[in-house]
Amino acid sequence: MSAAVIAGLLVFGAVYLLMQREMLRVILGFVLLGHAGNVVLMAAGGSARRHEPFGAPEDLSTVADPLPQAFVLTAIVIAFSITIVMLVLAVTGRDEDDDTETNPEEVRS
Amino acid sequence: MLLACLAGALLTCALAPLLTRALGRNAGWLLAIPLLGATALIALGYDDAAHSPAQPTPAVVESVPWIPSLDVGLALRLDGLSLVFALLVLVIGAAVLCYAARYLERTDRTDHGRHAGFYALMTGFAAAMLALVLADDLVVFYVAWEATTLCSFLLIARSGDGAREPAIRTLLVTVAGGLVLLAAVTVMIVVTGTTRISTVLTHDVWGAQPGLTMLVAVLVAVAAFTKSAQFPFQAWLPDSMVAKTPVSAYLHAAAMVKAGIYLLLRFSPVFSGVPAWTVLLVTVGLFTAVFGAVAALRRYDLKELLAYSTMSQLGLLTAMIGVGTAAALSAAVVHTIAHALFKSALFMGVGVVDHSAHTRDLRELARMNPRMPVTATLMVLAAASMAGIPLLLGFVSKESMLAAFLAAPGPSWAPWLLTATAALASVFTVAYSARLVLGALGGRNGTVVREAPATFWAAPAAGALAGLVLGLAPFLLDGLASAGASAAAGSTVEKHLAVWHGPVPELFVSLAVLATGAVLVLTRRRVHAVLAPRALPFSALDGVDRAREGMIQLGGVVGSWTNSPAPARHLAIPAVCLSVVALLAVWSTSELPPVRIAASEPFDWLLALLIACGVVAMMNARSLISAIVVTGVVGFSITVWFFDLGATDVAMTQLLVEILTVCVMVLLLRRLPARFSSPGARRRVVALLVAGAAGLATTAGVWMLTGRREASPASEYYLTHGYDETGGSNLVNTILVDFRALDTLGELTVLGVAGLTIAALLHGRRPAADDPAPIDEQSPVSDPETNTVFVRTAARLLGPVIVAMSVILLLRGHYEPGGGFISALVGGAGFTLTYLAAPSDERARVRLPYLWLIGAGVAVGTVTGLLGYLDGSFLRPLHPSILGFELTTALVFDVGVYLAVIGVILAAFNLLGRPPSDTTKVLPREPEPGAAGPDDPPGSGASPGTSTGAGERRRTARSSTATNPATTRSSHTTHETGEVTPR
Repeated sequence: MSAAVIAGLLVFGAVYLLMQREMLRVILGFVLLGHAGNVVLMAAGGSARRHEPFGAPEDLSTVADPLPQAFVLTAIVIAFSITIVMLVLAVTGRDEDDDTETNPEEVRS
Repeated sequence: MLLACLAGALLTCALAPLLTRALGRNAGWLLAIPLLGATALIALGYDDAAHSPAQPTPAVVESVPWIPSLDVGLALRLDGLSLVFALLVLVIGAAVLCYAARYLERTDRTDHGRHAGFYALMTGFAAAMLALVLADDLVVFYVAWEATTLCSFLLIARSGDGAREPAIRTLLVTVAGGLVLLAAVTVMIVVTGTTRISTVLTHDVWGAQPGLTMLVAVLVAVAAFTKSAQFPFQAWLPDSMVAKTPVSAYLHAAAMVKAGIYLLLRFSPVFSGVPAWTVLLVTVGLFTAVFGAVAALRRYDLKELLAYSTMSQLGLLTAMIGVGTAAALSAAVVHTIAHALFKSALFMGVGVVDHSAHTRDLRELARMNPRMPVTATLMVLAAASMAGIPLLLGFVSKESMLAAFLAAPGPSWAPWLLTATAALASVFTVAYSARLVLGALGGRNGTVVREAPATFWAAPAAGALAGLVLGLAPFLLDGLASAGASAAAGSTVEKHLAVWHGPVPELFVSLAVLATGAVLVLTRRRVHAVLAPRALPFSALDGVDRAREGMIQLGGVVGSWTNSPAPARHLAIPAVCLSVVALLAVWSTSELPPVRIAASEPFDWLLALLIACGVVAMMNARSLISAIVVTGVVGFSITVWFFDLGATDVAMTQLLVEILTVCVMVLLLRRLPARFSSPGARRRVVALLVAGAAGLATTAGVWMLTGRREASPASEYYLTHGYDETGGSNLVNTILVDFRALDTLGELTVLGVAGLTIAALLHGRRPAADDPAPIDEQSPVSDPETNTVFVRTAARLLGPVIVAMSVILLLRGHYEPGGGFISALVGGAGFTLTYLAAPSDERARVRLPYLWLIGAGVAVGTVTGLLGYLDGSFLRPLHPSILGFELTTALVFDVGVYLAVIGVILAAFNLLGRPPSDTTKVLPREPEPGAAGPDDPPGSGASPGTSTGAGERRRTARSSTATNPATTRSSHTTHETGEVTPR
């Protein structure tokens, strides 16, 4: 249940930020969305078994599922690189790109 | 043998550009040889099959598997009908290539390549047509059909500036027909369950389901109409006359338009009894025949006249196929041969006249004095054949046609109507044939036009002569015509051609046609005066153009529904749609399996509360700095949660990424507006509603769909066998580098692409200007050398430790928490520390070739993967034992991961951290021998610099604002301190 609530909270914040004007807030929205995706993946592996998956465990009923962990690990790094790309896009566009609808000069002043 | 012929034709196409580069236009002579060779092979092959008594209908069949899982094969079948068309395609193709060797402009040695494209496309066209007429597989047939469309489009398009629009119009019409054919082919495959044409043609379904049969018949007919320029798809044919004359000759005589006729004949055994097929083909065919013949009388351009004549002749062919009796189909086969011969000869003859007189306009030619005895003779012979004058092949075929029409089945008026309409079209044919010959060569005053060389007129002369020989001895064609007609009729047809059949009705019709035609020729001035002003009130070309514009406008309208520069609108659409789907699913679900492997502990709820605080703070942050800072709250809470779930590696990765993300964002502070605008009430409410729905949907979805079954079999496999199979005890790492290394390699590539994107963007586009930070020169921390002293000292001590840690994490990753991703992020954090500690931009730069690192990472991963082939498959880890130590290539693969990740981090810092003016200078250098490897301590940035001048001082001060904002901000820019405004 906690994973579901955490994922819901993250998506709530993500979608709210995605619908804002500034590119940076949209990017932060994507960061939250990435977190939410990872939480969903971890939830798919279950949260009842929390022992670290190392070696050849005797008792499988307490060890966490390593597969979603591997997915999430790479997903985090990919999300990081995509965040950088979006940040670069935010600063390399035309001047008004850092704010999707208003003139940046007005905001700065 | 068939496959060899097809392969030979394709090889010719491949060799054509090379030969043309060497020989210029003369390559045409050589390129004709393989086509003639294929002709001989095919004729001999069919002859063998015809003499073997085993088969009731002789056919050569060859097949190689192509897509075995779909039962699609490169199946070729040579029966009588394929034989007729294959011979036409190859012989006329060879003649046209020989003709092109003189028609094309002479080029000098350096410019020989100019005709390379022409010859490649012409031979490709021949290969595609050969594949089309030999195909016994619907998919192969369809591919060849579209290949001919593309070849003709490209051949027309490359004929000059004015050719672009006609080429596009041709493409649009023929591609539309191709789509109709695709529909027909798909239906056929679905209902018969096979792609073999020979099996489809004999399938029971056609008799059993008349509605379906009619539908497919209409689809096939429409596809053929577009290809063969039948009304209302006729416009492209005269339009495409802008193409070079050899192209037109081939297009009209043996290729493109004949593909439609072939399609109709091929499927005639199935559809010939279907009323819709008969009515459609006969009415459209005869209408086009008369329409084209009348239109031809109004043209001045010789090629255009011939184009309308092709349209008209194809109309007659279509009508014959529509009648569908054995007599009609055999007449169609004979007329196809006759048409190919006279039309190719006429087109090439017109090309000769055009070349010698430099015009093909009848009005201009009338003012010239052509003295071209051979060209004149061949054109007269060919035109006479077209007009159906006795002793030529055209007469024989037209006799057969009239006989077939007179004996047509159906209501009693049908034969008369058919014969009368065909006779009418034939009368006009006589008239336009005469108009062509008299117009082209009838001038007696004015500029003298001399005969072209024999090498030029040889090809058309051969065609015209063949029409004469076969016209005098038509029995030579008995075998071919019978074979073709048998295949088209689906039963054995014996065709006996003769010049004189006795006083039969069709002879009197023929004589009447010739007599009326002669009257029209004699009164041609008056006829022209009547016809010339009778332009149609609409033009089919305009129709094509309007349809095209309409389509583009429709696309614009559809696009405008979602076209908005505001990202919010695009991003909201998936959020709303997914929420609606999810909430509907929740609403319609009544029963859920019990929760099995999901459990929440009190600590989880504490983290959820922290995350909630972080999210709300992010939503309400009004300044850049505060937003970035509170992002960390969420990230670190999730990190802790990962630790709590037993996902140590994941938590470490998240922790490092969180730190690095904040560092990258800090680099951009100066380039983005410091404060966010306050969203209006409406935006806020809409965003909150959408976000609330999406959040609810997510919670419901995760709650209902996860944790309700036992752990997956894959998970159990990894837990029970992972250690034994890989020798690695860190199961998450073994999944990354052993079991699912291909996924990881894909992710490395994505990382690499991201790094390249960053580099390309920052090299290609100037980043937004940065805001200079106000520096208080009096402040004790204004000097970058002094204010970075603590960080520099710390970095000098910590740098080597961090790098050593990074290496240890990499090496032990297979057994303990760590691995390529984590160690690279740790290493990246080390570089970040030296970057933050540097007192100036210049010294902050880490001089490592980051793009090379990225490339090396992907390359190492791929090469390790290739090594896996030693043990059977890509990316299978090897475990060689050297000097008693058990090694694994998985570790090498992890080194690849390390290099790629660190490359991306370095690219981001090096490129983003520099002032806009300098970004162009940071192109990656060649790695020098002995250059610092990724594991070497980055020492350059940490050493204290010499004194800086006033000019540089300002820049360094600014840069330190960027790299180390907390230091400077504490002194003066207080208004920018992070603030979290709770609502």
